[in-house]
Amino acid sequence: MASDRSDLLQGTLDMLILKVLNRGPLHGYAIAQRIGAISRALLQVPQGSLYPALHRLENKRLLSAAWARTPSGRDVKVYRLTTKGRRQLSEEVADWERLAEAIRLILQTAE
Amino acid sequence: MRWLMRLIRRNRLEDELDRELASHVEAEVERLIADGLTPSEARRQALAAFGGLEPIRERARDARGTQWIEHLWQDLRYGARVLRRAPGFTLAAIASLAIGIGANTAMFSVTDALLFRPLPVERPHELVFLNRAGYSEPIQRFSYPALQRFRQGVAEVPFAGNTSIARTLFSVDGPSELVLGQLVTGDWFDVLGVRAEAGRVITAADTQELGGKPVVVLSDDFWARRFARDPAVIGKTVTINRVPITVVGVAARGFSGLTIGTRLDCWLPVTMQHELGYYTNAYMEDADDRKPWLTQDGIEFLNIVARLPDGMAHTAVPARMAALHRRSVDSQAEKLADPERREFKRREYLELISAWRGQSPLRETFTEPLQVLMGAAAFVLLIGCANLASLILARGAARSRELSLRLSLGASRGRIVRQLTTESLLLAGLGGLAAVAVARWGADGLLRLAATTRTPIPLSLPFDWRLIAFAGAASLLTGLAFGLMPALRLSRAGLVDGLKTGSRSTSASGRKTRVPFGRALIIAQVTLALTLLVGAVAFVRTFKNLLAEQSGFEREQVVSARFETQLAGFGKEQWPALSQRLLDAARRVPGVRSASLGVTGTLSGVMRIGGGIVVEGQPPHAGPEWTLREEQVGDDFFATMGMPLVRGRDFRLADRVGTQSVAVINETMARRFFGDVDPIGRHFGYGTPPEFEVVGIVRDARIDGPRSPVPSLAYLPLRQHPRNVANYLYIRVTNAPEAAANALRAALASAEPSLAIREVVTLGELTGRTVARERLMSQLTSGFGLLALAVAALGLYATISYSVVRRTSELGVRLALGASPGSVRWLVLRETLLVVGAGCVIGLLFAVPALRYVGTLLFGLSPGDPVTLVTATATLLVVSVLAALIPAMRAARTDPIRALRSE
Repeated sequence: MASDRSDLLQGTLDMLILKVLNRGPLHGYAIAQRIGAISRALLQVPQGSLYPALHRLENKRLLSAAWARTPSGRDVKVYRLTTKGRRQLSEEVADWERLAEAIRLILQTAE
Repeated sequence: MRWLMRLIRRNRLEDELDRELASHVEAEVERLIADGLTPSEARRQALAAFGGLEPIRERARDARGTQWIEHLWQDLRYGARVLRRAPGFTLAAIASLAIGIGANTAMFSVTDALLFRPLPVERPHELVFLNRAGYSEPIQRFSYPALQRFRQGVAEVPFAGNTSIARTLFSVDGPSELVLGQLVTGDWFDVLGVRAEAGRVITAADTQELGGKPVVVLSDDFWARRFARDPAVIGKTVTINRVPITVVGVAARGFSGLTIGTRLDCWLPVTMQHELGYYTNAYMEDADDRKPWLTQDGIEFLNIVARLPDGMAHTAVPARMAALHRRSVDSQAEKLADPERREFKRREYLELISAWRGQSPLRETFTEPLQVLMGAAAFVLLIGCANLASLILARGAARSRELSLRLSLGASRGRIVRQLTTESLLLAGLGGLAAVAVARWGADGLLRLAATTRTPIPLSLPFDWRLIAFAGAASLLTGLAFGLMPALRLSRAGLVDGLKTGSRSTSASGRKTRVPFGRALIIAQVTLALTLLVGAVAFVRTFKNLLAEQSGFEREQVVSARFETQLAGFGKEQWPALSQRLLDAARRVPGVRSASLGVTGTLSGVMRIGGGIVVEGQPPHAGPEWTLREEQVGDDFFATMGMPLVRGRDFRLADRVGTQSVAVINETMARRFFGDVDPIGRHFGYGTPPEFEVVGIVRDARIDGPRSPVPSLAYLPLRQHPRNVANYLYIRVTNAPEAAANALRAALASAEPSLAIREVVTLGELTGRTVARERLMSQLTSGFGLLALAVAALGLYATISYSVVRRTSELGVRLALGASPGSVRWLVLRETLLVVGAGCVIGLLFAVPALRYVGTLLFGLSPGDPVTLVTATATLLVVSVLAALIPAMRAARTDPIRALRSE
């Protein structure tokens, strides 16, 4: 794994997945691609972590999943945000922004 | 429950995961091919990006949250296989656990029922009993006018009253039988919130007027037992104490009054007291017991129960009740002439006693014994745990190869510990299941053993969640207790031991890692077993001492017949003729030397106490030590009972109504009331001038049983007190008492067919009943003691045998080098004796304080009784040596050639 790519902060993967799914249902591979694309490949989702995370979120009923067939004929499991997931996302985003703001303030004023 | 669904759908989820991962890889492969890679290279890279599929699968499973239960299931199946492979061990372990946990659960079940179970009434925690405190023991008896004063003075609190439980003559279309009945006020059922199972309960409308309404409510238990729940009984007219009464209903199922451990059969309105001839358990002062009791303030016979709704207990209400009672105590005290008695009365004050668990005379008798027995049962279980732990350890050593293999294949130590603990918990769970059956059987047995008569104590022991929860918790704790320690040790020792030394082991390396813990377990077992044995010997000796105690009367050759004269409807006018008829019949029984009568009886639990005694030539006194027991007896009483007169004379025919009232007093009374003065010819009595002249002194006798102190007792001749009705007839026989008892029963029944005979038994059997508690203790503690001894001996045998097997090669070398078989035998025995000796020393250090703790239950021996300690220790030592002798002999027979060759 390239060194200039940031490792995901513990717990942020869940939030990123929720955020990506907020725009519409996607399957696992597409989620990984989307996170990579949006972050301009700065963040690479460790593929070993993605599926356990998806399953965990599904167990917590933040996501629901259904099987679908892609135009190319592959069977994929499509994940969709639930209402509970949407609520969780807005909470996590708010938390994240508070934290980011706090860190920004510290970085600005700590000199 | 979602994890359960996921567990059940496990295979489908696994499939889906595989499909999902495959689809991801395919997509990646397609992308890489589009980027220009060869298909095989694309697949390789795609898989590499994952870092292997198996770890992802594993983590996805973890994310499902069902991993632990899958492991548990695995462990359970594996454990079951392991246990099935060693059926002998498994069965022995389950049996010992069933006995250990079962004994504890049985104790719990009885203790819970007696001490901790709320009454089956509405909101039991709001109920209180009214108690007249200030005396040496609680007095929960009030007059009916006193109850009315409470009702009027504190109108917001409902008060209800009930009498003591009395034997009642009950008949329905046929011969009568004795049942247990209780009189209650009209609102009693309502205040308690007890509804009818069928028909209706007694209501306030039934007790509107004195003598009214002839209705009876049956207990559900009696309805089922006597009438097989026949609904036709309701509305029927039955005869109770010769009064026709209508059955109006049955009380709620499970309700048996406020007294725990008594099977109550029926309830009647308190207003029927006079009509029903209810004369039980009353305190009388300035009263006429032949007139209706409800109108007399001087007759105290009602137990009052009140309902204080939540919060009211902290208001002014209880204080108002107390003040009300204060006023009536003061006005009663005013009337007393004697200043000392007035002072004594003024000490009385009202106390509210929580009534949520009812009342029970059994509690006082059995609370401490039950605590001791629970402790003993816990000890047995602990010994069992120590025993199982050492067995598992020994077996674990044999399994060390399996364990080290698993460890080296990558199983974590935690996983191994969990696996081994699961096995133990599985054993404990199976043992616990069997224990529930053992407990049901054991608890019933306990009630039978604790009973004073042949019928078990009627304490209902429901099979409910409390019992299941206790057995479950006990099993879990037991499983952890005997399983966790060996599991931790084995998982640590496993890798080193198993792979390095293989099957071969010398005592030198073995001793360092394993034996000290094994020895500690043996020492613990010996310590616990010795403590139990000491207790058992102490209680057996207590029981023997009690039976050997001089009673002061003849026990085996005197038969006592108890009957209910009043209930059978004999008036006082008819009594002298009836008593003569009964005595004549009794004297004709073969083998009878003499026969006599008594009013309250010997060893009967019935007594008649008078207070405020005036003694000629002594200043007046008041207080409990100036009370005396009074008993009216027939002719030849002392000769019949075998109680010798030490001074003066017996009653004679000339002592009749109209002549000077005479009394024969016992030695205790002579000493306490007359001191150094010779009582013969002096007078004592309840008034001035004192009415009774002392004509004789009889030797002290323990008429309440060997444990109870001798009371001050005055015997009066029935001839001079014809108003009193004797309910006891005694015969002194020269032949076998059992045959005489049967003959007497038949003779009395034919002399007077309508007489309700309660029982005909020897005084020896009645004595046995007064020590029922001690009998229970001696039987159960010796049972537990023997069990502990057997388990400890087995544990010792197994541990020593195992150590002999482990040391086969060492012993072989010793023998090959010329050690005699005798010295090898001694080597093994010495090791045993050291361990057992250490256990005995610690055990004795425990046993003496333990005996001191139960000191009040002992009789005739001190807590440090040397005979007890030596007997117990010697028994344990002998059994231990016997247990060790078999493996020691086997060690001495070791064949050196084979021992060395097996390496």
